[in-house]
Amino acid sequence: MTTLAIETEGLTRLFDGRAAVEGLALAVPEGAFYGFLGPNGAGKSTTIKMLTGLLAPTSGRARVLGTDLAVDPLSVKGRVGVVPDGLALFERLSGAEQLRIHGQLYGLERREAGRRADELLGALELADDAGKLVSEYSHGMRKKLALGCALIHGPRLLFLDEPFEGIDAVAVSGIRRLLQDLVARRALTIFLTSHVLEVVERIVTHVGIIREGRLAAQGTLAEVRGALTLEEVFIRTVGDERGEVRGLSWLGEGA
Amino acid sequence: MSAGEGGRAPAPPGALGTLRALAELRWLLLLRRLRRPGGVPEVVARVALYVVAVPAGLAFAALTGIGTYQAVRAGRGLQATVPIAALFFGVWQTWTVVSLSISERDALDLRRFLVYPISPAQAFGHGLAASVAGDPFAAFWCLLLAGAFGGAAVARPGAWLALLAVVLAAFVVATVALVALLQELLARLLRGRRAREILVAAVYVGVGVLLAWTAGHPGALLRMLRGARALRWLAYPAALAEAGAGELYAGRVLAALPWAAALVLAGGATAWAAYRLALASARAGAGGAPRAAATGRGGWPLPGRLGALVEKEAKYVLRHPVATLLALILPPFAAIVAWKIPPRLPAGSGEVVRALPVLGFALYAHMAAQIFWLNAFGWERGGGRVWFLVPVAPAEVLVAKNLAAYGLSAALFAAAAAAAIAVGGPLPGWALLAAVALHAGIAPWLLAAGNFVSVLNPRAAASTVQRGGSLSPLSSLAGMVIVSCAAGAFAVPVVFAVRRDAPWLLVLGWTALGLAGAIAYRLALPAAARLLARRREPLLDAIAGDED
Repeated sequence: MTTLAIETEGLTRLFDGRAAVEGLALAVPEGAFYGFLGPNGAGKSTTIKMLTGLLAPTSGRARVLGTDLAVDPLSVKGRVGVVPDGLALFERLSGAEQLRIHGQLYGLERREAGRRADELLGALELADDAGKLVSEYSHGMRKKLALGCALIHGPRLLFLDEPFEGIDAVAVSGIRRLLQDLVARRALTIFLTSHVLEVVERIVTHVGIIREGRLAAQGTLAEVRGALTLEEVFIRTVGDERGEVRGLSWLGEGA
Repeated sequence: MSAGEGGRAPAPPGALGTLRALAELRWLLLLRRLRRPGGVPEVVARVALYVVAVPAGLAFAALTGIGTYQAVRAGRGLQATVPIAALFFGVWQTWTVVSLSISERDALDLRRFLVYPISPAQAFGHGLAASVAGDPFAAFWCLLLAGAFGGAAVARPGAWLALLAVVLAAFVVATVALVALLQELLARLLRGRRAREILVAAVYVGVGVLLAWTAGHPGALLRMLRGARALRWLAYPAALAEAGAGELYAGRVLAALPWAAALVLAGGATAWAAYRLALASARAGAGGAPRAAATGRGGWPLPGRLGALVEKEAKYVLRHPVATLLALILPPFAAIVAWKIPPRLPAGSGEVVRALPVLGFALYAHMAAQIFWLNAFGWERGGGRVWFLVPVAPAEVLVAKNLAAYGLSAALFAAAAAAAIAVGGPLPGWALLAAVALHAGIAPWLLAAGNFVSVLNPRAAASTVQRGGSLSPLSSLAGMVIVSCAAGAFAVPVVFAVRRDAPWLLVLGWTALGLAGAIAYRLALPAAARLLARRREPLLDAIAGDED
């Protein structure tokens, strides 16, 4: 029987009575590279926030790495790494301070946290900017640093919310190779959301598609995709009914 | 609509159209704030500030009216000059201090307006006007000036009042412009960490050298301070207005004209300089942030998770320009108080009364650092998510924030007390003990209450002395209530000590209150931590913009 890294039952979150996520039943096997897909507003970020403790579910249960999130959240938090939507970085610390203090908050000794911070700065190509405050970092540098913060304590499960959004192709390639290497070495399980389907299709082993807060499809990449491309399956699953594009009345008519 | 009309760009808005658009923007932002959770209490707090400021302003306006009436009737001499100087320098000083520390300055932020087809000068001018019109404290000071005008009008009706009105209006404009200029200059000066450190070190080394030099020359420091009277022209809105009003009260309208003209010109030049700096800052972006540790090695040798939390919080506080500003301002302020106040105390006043000005700094240091304990999460932005993602207990987060805020307050108090002692002479041992007991004893009460305010009413704040706005009106009001209640409780031992002239009662009373505070803090901390965990969603919504 497959051990599950994430398992949810009836996970629901309401905002002002409206369901953002409803009755979600996720099953993410340990060691999987799980792509969680869905259109804007489908409930991807809300799901990640519930699984990482940023949001409280309205109802339902979530077990992460075998522990009920509601029973022992601190134990779960110590074993997972998170790159949330909007990131979680202290802007008035330098990149090096950020990584080291993050490591210490996860219980690493100061010296060990510092050693890992330096190694991460090199691996993420941030060593030259390690002394700058995070407020001076570009968006791509922040994404890399946030990934470093999520990895510094050696998590068994990594949550990544839109890791490829707003960064250039070179940075996407670098992050993709790093993540693939981690999964190939069976170092951890990765749960990621993304809109960049061509990248997701190349790296994930499992896929879940959410639509209007409900899980519409889930399984291995081969099971979900069948004979189609992931983009075709995605559009078919979330619905491709789009009206004809209407031009703007004041633009282009007089040209 | 024809194709030609459809492609045409709209004409740039006129001055009135711009004003309307800006007013509408501010109105919509206010409505949006009102609709958010906690919006109604914010508005109630703002109204409450006006409810306090306007009647208080009217009461004090009556006093300034009487003072001015007597000054105008006297025309010259001490009876005329003292009320004039007290009014202008008092209003200028409090207006400047309050504006630099707690007033909202969002309206002067030009960055958000650069993208629109609006003249930045116009936007800045509207911002200056809005900073007066929307500020309850400004309403208070304007009422004081209106009271003075009323007193003058009753004392001697005539056409000269028109020029007095010009002087008063120019004084308000010049004060607001000088505050804006100071904010821009301080922000530039304090942006670089090295520059901040050098500035603070220079001030402290300078004071040390001065004290060492004057040690062998009794009275030299006092003579020097008296010679520094020429520096009053730096406070030109008050100095020029004082000179102009003095001539007007004495009936010399022509002699007042150059002072009034100088005030108008200086106010205009200051506003222009502030505008140019604000525009340059807006166009330059946020650059110039300090550099910090460039490797993972090092860090503060503090044990465990709490150590890392304290290091992070302390670095945040120390890297905030307000901390530098306070370190620069508070010791000289304490020195002036120690120099000016004791000679004015009645000869028969007891030991306790003589020590009160210095003891006051034990409380003032907490008030100066209040943005850090009333809005402890205000500077975290996205970093605030860390508290709910990493395996740390919410209570540890609050304790770390409290330790950092207390550390700043203690350092400020130590610097202020050292400066006061250096100028005013050594304090008796009981006074030193009492000051330490007061500072340490009142802290747990303030911090315990402040934790609830920080969690219940967080506000995203900028790491700048410009456009402060670090506290919402509701938190400001809560801070006033907390400090007033704590100060009231700690005043009880003072009453007994003064009545019996028994200084040791202060040490005893404040130590007892401090111990009670420590117990109250321990009892309140788990509740505040539970509240933090429960209110993580609205907190992140407020500081990191996590709106779902």
